[in-house]
Amino acid sequence: MEQAGSFWEFVHAQSGKLLQQTVQHIGLTFISLLIAVLIGLPLGIYITRHRRAAGFVLGIAGVLQTIPSIALLGFMIPLLGIGPLPAITALFLYALLPVIRNTYTGIDGVDPGVREAAVAVGMTATQRLFRIDLVLAFPVIMAGIRTATVINVGVATLAAYIAAGGLGEFIFGGIALDNTTMILAGAIPAALLAILLDFLLSLLQHTAAAKRRTVIRLLPVLLLVLSSLYVLPVGYGSRLLAGFTPEFMGRKDGDIGLRTVYGLRIRTVVISDAVMYKAIFNRKLDVISGYSTDGRLQAYDLMALTDDKKIFPPYYAAPVVRKDVLERYPQLAPALDLLAGQIDDSVMTALNYQVEYLHEQPAKCAHDFLVSRGLYRSPRAGNKGLVRLGSKIFPEQYILTEMYAELIRGYTDLGVDSKTGLGGTQICFEALVNDQIDCYPEYTGTALLAILHPPAAEEARLAGSRDSVYQYVRRAFDQRYDLEWLAPIGFNNAYALMMRRSQARQLNIRTISDLTDYLKNDKL
Amino acid sequence: MIDVANITKTFGTRRAVDNVSFSVAEGENAVFLGTSGSGKTTLLKMINRLLEPDSGEISVGGRRIADQRPEELRRSIGYVFQNIGLFPHYTIEQNIGVVPRLLGWDARRIASRVRDLMDKLKLPPAQYKAAWPHELSGGQQQRVGLARALAANPPVLLMDEPFGALDPITRAAVRKDFRELDELRSTTIVLVTHDVQEAFELADNIFLMDKGAIVQHGTPDQLLFHPSGEYPREFFEEQRFQLEAERIASDDYPALIRAFDHFRKNRG
Repeated sequence: MEQAGSFWEFVHAQSGKLLQQTVQHIGLTFISLLIAVLIGLPLGIYITRHRRAAGFVLGIAGVLQTIPSIALLGFMIPLLGIGPLPAITALFLYALLPVIRNTYTGIDGVDPGVREAAVAVGMTATQRLFRIDLVLAFPVIMAGIRTATVINVGVATLAAYIAAGGLGEFIFGGIALDNTTMILAGAIPAALLAILLDFLLSLLQHTAAAKRRTVIRLLPVLLLVLSSLYVLPVGYGSRLLAGFTPEFMGRKDGDIGLRTVYGLRIRTVVISDAVMYKAIFNRKLDVISGYSTDGRLQAYDLMALTDDKKIFPPYYAAPVVRKDVLERYPQLAPALDLLAGQIDDSVMTALNYQVEYLHEQPAKCAHDFLVSRGLYRSPRAGNKGLVRLGSKIFPEQYILTEMYAELIRGYTDLGVDSKTGLGGTQICFEALVNDQIDCYPEYTGTALLAILHPPAAEEARLAGSRDSVYQYVRRAFDQRYDLEWLAPIGFNNAYALMMRRSQARQLNIRTISDLTDYLKNDKL
Repeated sequence: MIDVANITKTFGTRRAVDNVSFSVAEGENAVFLGTSGSGKTTLLKMINRLLEPDSGEISVGGRRIADQRPEELRRSIGYVFQNIGLFPHYTIEQNIGVVPRLLGWDARRIASRVRDLMDKLKLPPAQYKAAWPHELSGGQQQRVGLARALAANPPVLLMDEPFGALDPITRAAVRKDFRELDELRSTTIVLVTHDVQEAFELADNIFLMDKGAIVQHGTPDQLLFHPSGEYPREFFEEQRFQLEAERIASDDYPALIRAFDHFRKNRG
């Protein structure tokens, strides 16, 4: 009941955004469908007349269909950048196969006797196409368009990853924030949209033969009208464009904080962090949300703006370990603590840069670091027990896990079983609580906001202070989950706003307040 | 009316029609008779350019068909298929009126022509005008097929095994109503069949075909009583008694006895 209540509250509070996203979603779906029909239908007709080309055309369209949608969007970015163009192109490519294939099989399935009769009574090729072939193949062709539409409604959710809007903004924001209500606010309308459009198109598909020619004439107009619903995600008019991840958009210590605490007003698009850095580097974006130790900061020559009003809570990394494991293996805690205080922000950024940008193996990078710090020792027997290390699915966590693995092997007689790439915070934490892993690196800010959810007053009291947040999460984890936070590693992987260093320098922007002031004085 | 000169058509390596020439006079009913694979349907389809010959020349009404736009040629030639080929998304009225509509007749003229043909072919318009092809029996569908071919009063009618798909009783009934149509009196008909009985019933002239060539042509009597060789003789052997009996005046006893003796001898 509480869940349902909060769902309606969320939908009510976000109704403007929801409506905008839904309209964008419909527009995205149909603009790509329209193009797919404009190209796929003639192509389908062409291959019924040129059989030799059929295998080739259907083969190509089939291969396009098998490319995973995320990968297809990925391929689009170097070619077409971010925003609506690559999203529509990718959706169009997905819609192409069902349209071509069903046009082909539909016309192919028309009784040859009927087609020969149409020739024999003296119909021209055009007359046969519009009066016989298309009309009789209509239910099959419409079935193809239906399939394409439903596929497009689904794939269009991914458009949110590349700043093209749509209901994916809520879905991926919700996934990133582990906010079920938010996921559902995007997923339910998307599902309803798919069902509704499928139903409406099924009505069209089963149009009586006599009325089909009318439908064939009206269909392009209908597609055109629905396509025009797609309007670019518009926000405040400002010269600079910001790209924020779905997660950042929905967080209090994210976009919401920027607007309420700083009064930042900037034109914003939602974008996946996988493509965000490239986009700012290519000047498609000017401001992005990122992590302060991200290796790409160095790779793309970006600058993190100082959070002068302290809206981003500290995210100090430290190993979190099951207490029963620490008791069973007393050698373990000292080995893990060897890393405490060893890595500051710039060191972590450099390590991440080596892995993310120079494509070094996390294991090698971790090993070299330990050697350089004189911490490396060759492995011991490893037969006194087994420690299961977990990590979330990003390079920084891989590097830390590899370091811990080497330290445990070198300083204890324990063996190590690495379970890396356990998705996000929730998966790692659940694995730890449920005794699937023994230890993983966690961040104080994440523990506070994504796991503990303290009351607002408590959160305000802790705000910004490194030590008080650490002490709070340490105590809470101990009491509630029997988990131990060891000493912090040193760096603070907090949220940060980033700009290109050159542009920030040119505009004389160093802090978020500077950015806010610049935008206030520079309205379009 | 139809002049065919030295027509050859090959499919791959197979010669479906091999250097065939013939003429059909205006108003004549010419029947091409032969087994399946004898080339008769291929020949028929070349007359309205459903197929193009490899070599040779065809004229209809004195004009070379190769010089005409195929669509215009076809609108002036009725065509009836064995498998009928009605347009399943057209009502009976629309099916029959399809060629007049392509020719740009006005709606009232089309409607009255359709009504007229439906009456003659025993398809009460009130009952069947708005019906769909699948709602009709096989015999009724072929009546619609005949009406569609005749709707624009074509001077030439091509028929490819038109009654072949019907059961014997229906076939006899449709054939009877077909023969009674007054528009056929001036129409030149080329009909293709493997049914000897049908050929003898409908033909002014029979062209007997085998392996892509015309083996013998002439009136039914000529083919029956004066076969030109082994193939024509054997072709009619099965039904000879019945065919001859039908063709001999019922009081010409000597001729009847001759025919019966012949029949008995052959049955051994």
